[in-house]
Amino acid sequence: MPGVTTDSRSFCSQSNTLRPYLAAVRSTMTASLCLTNFSSQVVERHNKPEIEARATPEVLLNPVLISRNESERVLIEPSINSVRVSIAIKQADEIERVLCHKFTRFLMMRAENFYVLRRVPMSGYDISFLVTHVHAETMYKHKLVDFLIQFMEDVDREISEMKLSLNARARIVAESFLQQF
Amino acid sequence: MLIDLHPANRVLDETLRERFNGTPEKLGQLKLADFDGVSYKVSTPDSKTVLHVSMYIACFAQLRAYGADDVLRREYGNLLEQTPEDGFDVTVKIDLENLPENKEDLIRKVSLLKRNALAAPFERAFTAQQEGNESELMVIQYRPDEAFYIKAQHDRVTVIFSTVFSEETDRIFGKVFLQEFVDARRSPATQNAPQVLYSAREPPMELRGLPNVVESENVGFVTFVLFPRHFVGPAAEGCISRIQLFRDYLHYHIKASKAYMHSRLRIRVDSFLKVLNRARPEQPDDKKEKKTASGKTFTRKETIGRPLSPVHDLSSHFQDPLHNPSTYGHCHL
Repeated sequence: MPGVTTDSRSFCSQSNTLRPYLAAVRSTMTASLCLTNFSSQVVERHNKPEIEARATPEVLLNPVLISRNESERVLIEPSINSVRVSIAIKQADEIERVLCHKFTRFLMMRAENFYVLRRVPMSGYDISFLVTHVHAETMYKHKLVDFLIQFMEDVDREISEMKLSLNARARIVAESFLQQF
Repeated sequence: MLIDLHPANRVLDETLRERFNGTPEKLGQLKLADFDGVSYKVSTPDSKTVLHVSMYIACFAQLRAYGADDVLRREYGNLLEQTPEDGFDVTVKIDLENLPENKEDLIRKVSLLKRNALAAPFERAFTAQQEGNESELMVIQYRPDEAFYIKAQHDRVTVIFSTVFSEETDRIFGKVFLQEFVDARRSPATQNAPQVLYSAREPPMELRGLPNVVESENVGFVTFVLFPRHFVGPAAEGCISRIQLFRDYLHYHIKASKAYMHSRLRIRVDSFLKVLNRARPEQPDDKKEKKTASGKTFTRKETIGRPLSPVHDLSSHFQDPLHNPSTYGHCHL
């Protein structure tokens, strides 16, 4: 399966806990992306993502929670025609919290460009994706999983880079001001 | 450099230079703005050779109490009008036919109008300290919710700023910046800098029990401790200009880093979109714009169901004049 093969290049710089974490997310995502068209059994001529509608309990599968530590975790909720993936991003301090909030808000405001992005995250998580059978049919499944994995990697990196650049700028600004005395 | 703010008003500076060097002409009314809600008006109400420069500054009553009139009279001499224009606090009248030899000096002086008005309490505190006296705590409410406080003690002058962060992000960024101001003194290049103290929420000891001190989650207090080496003799002028602009400098850089974050996020979102679009197979309705070897662009249209060659299409058309050509669709030459 192309989805489960791991790209050794991208794992070179990863820490020991990140690698199994992302591998677990990748294989769970690949497994749960077995989606099919499914019309609502409750309302005639409706066809809704069952994981959101929650009208038919028998088509909802067991949710899977993958945690790297208490602040970083991924909740994957599969159903017959849709999968909901919610990601909690690491927020060690106040600055990371603000940057993470800015970042996710920025993405969710552009949700229509990101076909699989949910406009509102699930409570307790920072960002949620909703993949329906339409997405699974019109997109390459393994590349969709690649996107989610890359997203998880890049968000952490981007937030820590922004934090570093903020600190660096603050230092330059303060020194430049105080040097004049 | 962009990193520092200049105490002089740039627009005022340029306007005056233009007026002084060009032929005098009638000026309608020029309104300019500066930091901290200060506004200027440049006009020629009486004759086109007499320029009036007026400044409005919200805390002028307080500044006057701390000797702003004396400072302004010393700086501007007889250019200063006794009664300022309506709605303004200071008016300077410049006769363009009687300019001094050193025009640049006058331009510089007038564009520093705000700085000079705000310098009064600083100068008073510096003098008091040098005479070994303690001064009262001087309060300058330079913005609606923000003030700075100056107090001379027998060995030092303390300047305290209260600053309001209008939103959560500003507050957190501000905290990072102010922490760096506190820590920056450790580096060798800033050994001579005054000591900076910062406290969020809690006002420092000097301000306890003072009326109108706003205490809330969004307020920060920054204290500069100035020793005589910072303000004795020629050092005083630069010291005053820099300390005055501290609040604007801080907020300017907070805004700048927010803008930088924003542009970074934009780039990052674009790169995410690229990754996601890799998951989408090429859609048949996507525009296929191609380039020829000569660099011209053309759009490939669907050819299914149409005659292969346009020549063939035309010839069959001519051979059968009764045939309705529209059934063939359009030919692409």
